[in-house]
Amino acid sequence: MQTMNQKQKRGWSLRDVIFLAIIGIFFGVIYQVWSYAYYVIAATPLKPYANDLTLGVWIMAGPLAGVLLQKAGATLIGELLAAAVEMLLFSSWGAANLISGFIQGLGNEIGFACTGYRNWSKLGLFLSTIGATIITFIWDWFQSGYSEYHIGLLLTLLIIRFISIGFFAGVLVYWIKKLVLKTGLNK
Amino acid sequence: MRKTARKGLNATILTVIMLGVGLQIAFSRSVTLNIIVMLICLAYLLYCRVAPQKLIIMLLIALPLAVGSWWSFIMFGVGDRWHSAWIYGSRVYAYLLLGAILTLTVQVKEILISLSLHAKLSETFVYGLLASFNLLQRIRQQFKLIQYSAQMRGKNYRPWQPALYLRIIIVALHWSEDLAEAMSSQGFSEGYPRTRTFEDPLPHWQWGLALGIIILYFWAAFFIHPW
Repeated sequence: MQTMNQKQKRGWSLRDVIFLAIIGIFFGVIYQVWSYAYYVIAATPLKPYANDLTLGVWIMAGPLAGVLLQKAGATLIGELLAAAVEMLLFSSWGAANLISGFIQGLGNEIGFACTGYRNWSKLGLFLSTIGATIITFIWDWFQSGYSEYHIGLLLTLLIIRFISIGFFAGVLVYWIKKLVLKTGLNK
Repeated sequence: MRKTARKGLNATILTVIMLGVGLQIAFSRSVTLNIIVMLICLAYLLYCRVAPQKLIIMLLIALPLAVGSWWSFIMFGVGDRWHSAWIYGSRVYAYLLLGAILTLTVQVKEILISLSLHAKLSETFVYGLLASFNLLQRIRQQFKLIQYSAQMRGKNYRPWQPALYLRIIIVALHWSEDLAEAMSSQGFSEGYPRTRTFEDPLPHWQWGLALGIIILYFWAAFFIHPW
């Protein structure tokens, strides 16, 4: 698997790009299934809850790319690719897609960078979920107007967001990685 | 291939405008500017002869999101709730239409090739993405197959189950290997110059236009502060 190929640890091969793009398109298909549930809640004043509850699913493509390819920048580029696929093929957010994809990927990337790109397991994923929670929350402070909500709602949202990101972009990605290792695909 | 004979701006310029203005929208707090952005984008879309029915459907699909944003500030906002509600309600549409000026007027292929020509986007990414986008229908089909085969074993894959993603990763691994090999055997070499058959003219004035729009927005949003 290209993930462990030492020779290509730095650069991006055509295969890596296609691999991530295909995963990005699969995510696009999964997002479409999810977006029905999202829409039902998002059409009500509970929209911020819908955002934060589902955020983990939107951002898991990044850390998944990170733990599979294990190289600097993989998380950010993985998330950007998923966002580009999303914008070009499935868009319902328009321009916001690419920009938030960048922000989300950056948040996750910072987590892995904190371990010096040496830990792609529990610690790296944990830091990556914290990075993503903080960075995306700061972004929504401006972009989604969280600065205008009252403090009680904000605290609830922050906790919900961390749980969502922690599960989907942390625990679930860790389980997937373990499964991949068990099947020996990385050999 | 063919010469692009579109009416509108170059895809790279549209991308620059989309990102340059889009990033600023997040920090500007103005209903007026959101509406101006929406109107200009709508006018541009109509000028490029995007079918009005398509636009209406797109605007209707986004309506629940805009209403949800609007309503949440009325319910949970602090300070000037009405102002906030209108800012963030209209912002949904400003973003949507700003994205649409790129995605609804230019084909995906043209966007990517234009970015590789004028914005130095790596060709490995451009052709890798293009190749994968052609798989869209097969990927949808494969997603269904994965679920059917699970159902035959009396299981149902849900998005929170790792087994679903394992199947996806296996498919992506096989297909990416096959596709990359197929492309190499058809003569795609990574990192080498390519023969170009695609013309994508980008007159200088369009760069000026993009820069002008971005600076004008900056000035209006952060110096004039309209309502």
